[in-house]
Amino acid sequence: MRPENYEAQRQPPSNEYELNFGPNHPGIEGNYALKVKLHGDVVIEAKADGGYLHRGFEKLMEQRLWIQNIALVPRICVPDPSPMELCYSMAVEQLCGLVVPKRAQWIRVLQLELSRIAAHLFTFGGHAATTGMYSTMYWGVTDRDLLLDLFEEFTGGRVYSIYNIPGGVRRELPPGFLLRVTETLDYIESRLPDYDNLFFKNQVFVKRAKGVGVMTREQALAWGVTGPNLRATGLAFDVRRDDPYQIYDQLEFDIPTEESGDAWARTLVRRHELMESIRILRQVVDALPDINGSIRSPIPNPLAWNVPAGETYTRVESSKGELCYYVVSDGGPKPYRVHVRGPSSMHAVQVLEKLSVGSRIEDIAQTMFSLDACPPEVDR
Amino acid sequence: MSSINQIPVINTKRGNPLSKVFDELVRFCRSRSLFILHYCTGCGAIELPPAMTSRFDMERLGIQPMVSPRQADILLITGYVSIKTLKRVILTYEQMGSPKYVIGICSCTVNGGMYWQSYATAKKLDEYMPVDLYIAGCMPRPEAVIAGLQQLMDRIHSGEANSWEDYFRNYDYYLGNQQKLFGDNWQTPTDILTEAKHYNLMGEGTFGEHTRLLEQHQKPLEALDMRLGNNLKEPTE
Repeated sequence: MRPENYEAQRQPPSNEYELNFGPNHPGIEGNYALKVKLHGDVVIEAKADGGYLHRGFEKLMEQRLWIQNIALVPRICVPDPSPMELCYSMAVEQLCGLVVPKRAQWIRVLQLELSRIAAHLFTFGGHAATTGMYSTMYWGVTDRDLLLDLFEEFTGGRVYSIYNIPGGVRRELPPGFLLRVTETLDYIESRLPDYDNLFFKNQVFVKRAKGVGVMTREQALAWGVTGPNLRATGLAFDVRRDDPYQIYDQLEFDIPTEESGDAWARTLVRRHELMESIRILRQVVDALPDINGSIRSPIPNPLAWNVPAGETYTRVESSKGELCYYVVSDGGPKPYRVHVRGPSSMHAVQVLEKLSVGSRIEDIAQTMFSLDACPPEVDR
Repeated sequence: MSSINQIPVINTKRGNPLSKVFDELVRFCRSRSLFILHYCTGCGAIELPPAMTSRFDMERLGIQPMVSPRQADILLITGYVSIKTLKRVILTYEQMGSPKYVIGICSCTVNGGMYWQSYATAKKLDEYMPVDLYIAGCMPRPEAVIAGLQQLMDRIHSGEANSWEDYFRNYDYYLGNQQKLFGDNWQTPTDILTEAKHYNLMGEGTFGEHTRLLEQHQKPLEALDMRLGNNLKEPTE
């Protein structure tokens, strides 16, 4: 800026002012902004300002073939892309009446749960960094990298796997892969006590997060909150158990809940979920060698694939919450309409706006990271 | 009120026999202490935490993230830029102190990538600001990011990474493309034309039809009024 602009204007004294929080700000998750009105350092009003990451996904998907969209959908949520692929594939399968072979379903669950662990570790890292505990961030991101190595081995991509297609999965698991999954799980499980001591039981974190951004169960239900944020208010709702897809009804796992509904409870729910994911993965690793058969059912030539007309609605549980796709086909080679119901658009807009009010400005980052909102998914 | 004309310009080319050695030293030091402004414009931002943290460890090259544009040397554009983001990116770029370097990560900054059809994204980054280095891929691995940064360090050391001067020398071109997107009355808080005159960075493309349009629309900038007008109490002084 020109030096002329540094000249401060004389203003009448007042305690209230407006602040642009983001988009280039370390306390905000990704490319997202809030306009906050402050009295001293207490937030009076917050207004979400998204759209920095808008790419027009729902329009783009109408212009591409059914199979091309598989490469497009994981880009909607960058830290946790696998549920996006799966949910879209499930929608196309329902429209076509495709039956997914048993082995493909187990491999899909393996991929989903690995992705969930990776996303949670990344969230812990980011959340710890906002409280100034950078060592947890270094640990979380580095441990997540081990999972990305697994992804690279069996899907070919570190972040975007593009592994699910309608009808099954694209490749067979490489030899010896399950052994390496077990090794990585053992390692991550052995690290969790260290995480507890460094982060989850750390008084620096507990005192910052307890009592921040409290919502009751009624509020959470009214605002459309799902996933770990809803379970932190004491309601044990999980799509994996209450509306099972793939082979989740054959697996044993618990739904961890917390009662207090604040930032601390939300983070703790994710930490328990990490353990549950490891438990699910161990069952999958034990069962997979005995399940033989093909990994995908045949689909017609994907370049001239006319999906029968109809509409469908599918939902899965991503690491952020309930993710749904509403897909309409008019019998053509491209979707007629795809609507994505992402969990973050509720968490980062209406919930964050309401929870920030009354808290102090440094707690906005706590609220946002504990809600685990994903800005690319908000804007789409 | 201070003005840009009061800032002294130090002319380094004075025929001093040691100036070559000194320039070499400056370039060496400059290439070994780079601060990245980590503005997460898109998906590529997710491969930067692995590159920064202990596994790949960017810091061993002397590269660190920095939160404020005025202290940063490198502007890292991590992925697609939507029109709304591009405005902020240009404001950020113009606020950074020279010499400054721009790296475009991901295919989307090169030619639009996955979103070549999208109505909401700007396709080619180098139409709006000079880019020193592209790291292609969707998304590039941390190794690729680090290799790209090393290449930039070499270019800075050998004195080739001078694209920031391009922005002053061809300002008309960049401004024209910006005006095409943001409208004719587009104006940033930074006065590039005065800076180019003052630091003698003018080239053939500095002035043109687009800068004439800017001068027509340019309004004197006012300091930001950070208060809300509606429910203010009267000053008690």
